Amino acid sequence: MQNKNEKILETGQTDNTPGWLDVARVYLKIGTIGFGGGFAVMDLIHSELVEKHPWLTEQRYQNMVALAEMAPGALTVNLLSGIAYRLGGVKTMILATTALILPSFVLITLLAGAFLAWQNHPMVKGALEGLTAGVVGLLLAVVWSMIKKAPRHWCCFVVGLLAFVLGIVMPINPVWLVLMGGMAGALKVVVETLRNRHINTPSEDNGTK
Amino acid sequence: MDISLLYNLAHSFLKVGMFGFGGGFAMVPLMQNVVHQNAWLTPVQFAAAIALGQVTPGPVAISATFIGYKVAGFSGAVVATIAVFIPSLVAMYLLDKFYLKIRTSHITQAIMHGILPVVIAIILHVAISMGQPLMHSWWQILTVIAVASLAISRRIGYGVLIAGSVVLGMLMVL
Repeated sequence: MQNKNEKILETGQTDNTPGWLDVARVYLKIGTIGFGGGFAVMDLIHSELVEKHPWLTEQRYQNMVALAEMAPGALTVNLLSGIAYRLGGVKTMILATTALILPSFVLITLLAGAFLAWQNHPMVKGALEGLTAGVVGLLLAVVWSMIKKAPRHWCCFVVGLLAFVLGIVMPINPVWLVLMGGMAGALKVVVETLRNRHINTPSEDNGTK
Repeated sequence: MDISLLYNLAHSFLKVGMFGFGGGFAMVPLMQNVVHQNAWLTPVQFAAAIALGQVTPGPVAISATFIGYKVAGFSGAVVATIAVFIPSLVAMYLLDKFYLKIRTSHITQAIMHGILPVVIAIILHVAISMGQPLMHSWWQILTVIAVASLAISRRIGYGVLIAGSVVLGMLMVL
């Protein structure tokens, strides 16, 4: 018992390490019923992987969420592929993530086929007009929720405004804007470090006298 | 089968996957750029790609599948899907390996803080470029406002909202 608890503490994993097929089966389920993305799916993931199956401790799950937020791409895919890697290495990671994406892949391929066949039908054209409006509304909602979550710092505000204006006045690849944002963040740390050193230096001089 | 087309798809969507920091929606502007540069989809088709990514289960990034399918059929769908998700797997693998070093570094956090406002700005660009053609139609403007406020209140799921606007669009044709 003692031994088992120690192992949990060390790795954040419980003893019931599942095979890749078990993980893939649960991921297939999440990929099939995980509609809507975002918070609803995060709840589903938590209940499947932490509550229903004894695969992860709460602590390990939270750590994985923190890592997933740092990686590029969809949060849910990052989180689940990271967990799968923890549970069974690269093989489980690849197979389970494939199982996760498979249902959406099949569904969207079928829908794409149907859409491209009927896109000139007047009814479909009307549907598309409604759908475009819906997507714009969603994007605005996403922007709003991201602004609310963003760190309250004048630097963030300036970087965001600069990127927005730059993108409006000239056609620029958004990849460059993302890279520039990352560099601005790194630059801020460098400047702060240098400034701290500068502030600290005089007090050191006083000490040596 | 056109190999150079598949290569172009793979290359483009690897880039989308690699720079899509800040969640699935951060990929939308990158996809729009790729689609626009290669003239792969009309603006309306692109909106459909994003919307279908919403009404299907799974992440928004699955819109890449739609774009791949439109460009090069089934093999295009497979290539685009694999390409868009590979960077996520590689990144998670590397993060897991260097977890402690990364977590203790202020630099990684600062870089993310610099990227986040940019992502907000570029998503707003997409909303503006997609929304401009709608501005002459009153019911589409109302739909934008209604969907945005309902999505912000989080009372209704994204998929349902998209489905609702599709139905409304069909009713307006009748």
